[in-house]
Amino acid sequence: MFRNPYVAYGVLASPGILLVVGIATFLILQRTLLAPTAQAAPDQPIDFPHTVHAGMLELDCTFCHRAASEEPHAGLPALEQCMFCHTAVQPEDNEQIGLLLEAWNNYEGVEWERVHQLPDHVQFVHEAHINAGFECSTCHGDVEEMEKIKQVRDLRMDDCVECHLDNEAPIDCTTCHY
Amino acid sequence: MACQAENNIPINEESAFRENRAIEWIRIERYWTDSEDFAESSPQYLPMTCQHCGNAPCEPVCPVYATYHTPDGLNAQIYNRCIGTRYCGNNCPWNVRYFNYHDPKFEDTFTNHLNPDVTVRSRGIMEKCSMCVQRIRRGVREARYDGRELQDGDIMPACAQTCPTNAIIFGDLNNPDSQVSQMVASDRNYELFGELGTAPGLTYLAKVDVDAEEHSEEEEHAAVPQSPVIWMTVNG
Ligand code: HEC
Ligand code: HEC
Ligand code: HEC
Ligand code: HEC
Ligand code: HEC
Repeated sequence: MFRNPYVAYGVLASPGILLVVGIATFLILQRTLLAPTAQAAPDQPIDFPHTVHAGMLELDCTFCHRAASEEPHAGLPALEQCMFCHTAVQPEDNEQIGLLLEAWNNYEGVEWERVHQLPDHVQFVHEAHINAGFECSTCHGDVEEMEKIKQVRDLRMDDCVECHLDNEAPIDCTTCHY
Repeated sequence: MACQAENNIPINEESAFRENRAIEWIRIERYWTDSEDFAESSPQYLPMTCQHCGNAPCEPVCPVYATYHTPDGLNAQIYNRCIGTRYCGNNCPWNVRYFNYHDPKFEDTFTNHLNPDVTVRSRGIMEKCSMCVQRIRRGVREARYDGRELQDGDIMPACAQTCPTNAIIFGDLNNPDSQVSQMVASDRNYELFGELGTAPGLTYLAKVDVDAEEHSEEEEHAAVPQSPVIWMTVNG
């Protein structure tokens, strides 16, 4: 017997169901695959290992990310700062340090890829959070153990606002948007 | 210019003025004193920015609550919330809300000179004077971390900072000692279009013309007296 598929599966194809399923899928996707934490860590021009510098050498985070405690942006170190050590620390045949030296000798900068990137309309302020006593790891996780930096905390609006509510920090829209 | 640099406002092209689509958060209105004899009348200037009304006509007409009042008394515009209906602009008696009819265009050499603390608005979004909220937030923050009370003059919007004659003054109306509080108490103080009852946060001083911006949060400040030299010499 031939069954008209539209009748048999009609319910499944009705616009209402499609809409509900569509919205549900979108919401699930947004929580999972599309979340910033689900994105692969981008490849950096030089494989800079935090494990060596922040882990093994136990450098203070603000040694390199100098502005974190006084400015909105933590900032990345200039090559000069790498060269404090790497004028001396030049192990033979280390390809990555070779790249660093090459950039330095050619007076070029290194264009690091961004890992954390809030939309332009959000103004995040590191200073406020460091002064409130949070560790970098509250938001960035155990960077010392990351060969390659990856975002580990959601850091979208509900995450921000939730923590702000817990800590009686301001949640007025112009705290973060202007 | 100070305002444009501070707030990432692109330089308006001539055509923008012709189309009436120029964006200038602060503009200088020019008018002439009443005199029979043209030769005797003199030009008067009035800086015109968002008045940060306490009872703002723009706020209730926004269908998405993109413009609202902050606890410290600013009339804020949340760009990412804005869907560009332009109702607010339509309802503003001062015409100080500006709609982005085009994406902003910056000279190539300019892109590294934008202020990172201010969002660049794209096409389809309403914008206006924010009273340099980024400076207010920063000022309040720095004072808090230094463990001191905010003082008069800690915070200055770009326009006030750049004005050589200190015609624009910003401060805390809740602090009776602040310069603005004292200027607002002056009987020369008046509100522009005060008859509309919008309770503007900016007031002007007649002759010595004042802008005062009001913040109701205690630690905060704001206000802006104005005394363009011309006014003082001609009328004062
Ligand atoms: C020797 C200098 C140095 C030290 C010390 C250092 N970092 Fe970094 N950090 C860098 C460099 C260079 C980058 C850019 C390359 C990359 O992302 O891997 C970076 C990137 C990052 C990023 C990602 C930035 C982005 O694009 O979103 C985070 C987060 C970060 N560091 C946190 C930390 C924390 C937390 C510590 C302390 C435990 C720390 N760093 C110590 C040099 C350093
Ligand atoms: C405090 C001194 C110091 C600073 C500052 C420093 N490094 Fe290093 N770096 C070291 C040492 C020590 C090693 C380990 C060398 C080894 O493995 O023999 C190293 C190793 C490396 C390696 C190779 C890691 C590996 O094992 O493959 C790279 C790449 C590197 N650094 C890049 C950088 C960059 C980029 C900067 C600037 C952001 C920087 N370093 C700043 C001391 C420093
Ligand atoms: C409250 C959460 C939080 C804490 C605590 C925090 N960060 Fe961040 N960090 C962020 C967010 C959110 C971003 C993305 C900012 C953006 O895109 O504008 C970021 C970005 C960065 C970046 C790259 C972009 C930039 O701003 O220069 C670096 C480097 C960084 N953080 C380092 C640190 C260091 C070092 C510490 C500790 C001293 C720290 N962060 C503490 C949330 C945090
Ligand atoms: C771990 C908790 C936590 C998280 C997560 C967090 N915040 Fe905060 N934030 C705070 C606290 C606490 C303060 C108040 C600091 C103070 O009182 O000085 C604060 C202050 C701020 C301020 C400064 C307000 C001022 O006075 O100028 C901004 C801006 C801000 N947060 C933005 C964000 C954004 C954007 C995010 C999400 C990416 C975020 N925060 C995530 C705890 C958090
Ligand atoms: C603590 C900081 C914080 C506060 C307070 C806050 N936001 Fe947000 N908001 C964010 C962050 C971070 C994002 C970016 C989320 C993302 O990456 O998807 C965001 C995104 C948004 C978006 C989405 C824009 C888009 O294009 O997806 C809207 C709309 C928005 N916020 C409106 C508001 C309004 C209205 C208020 C006041 C009631 C407010 N926000 C208060 C941090 C904040």
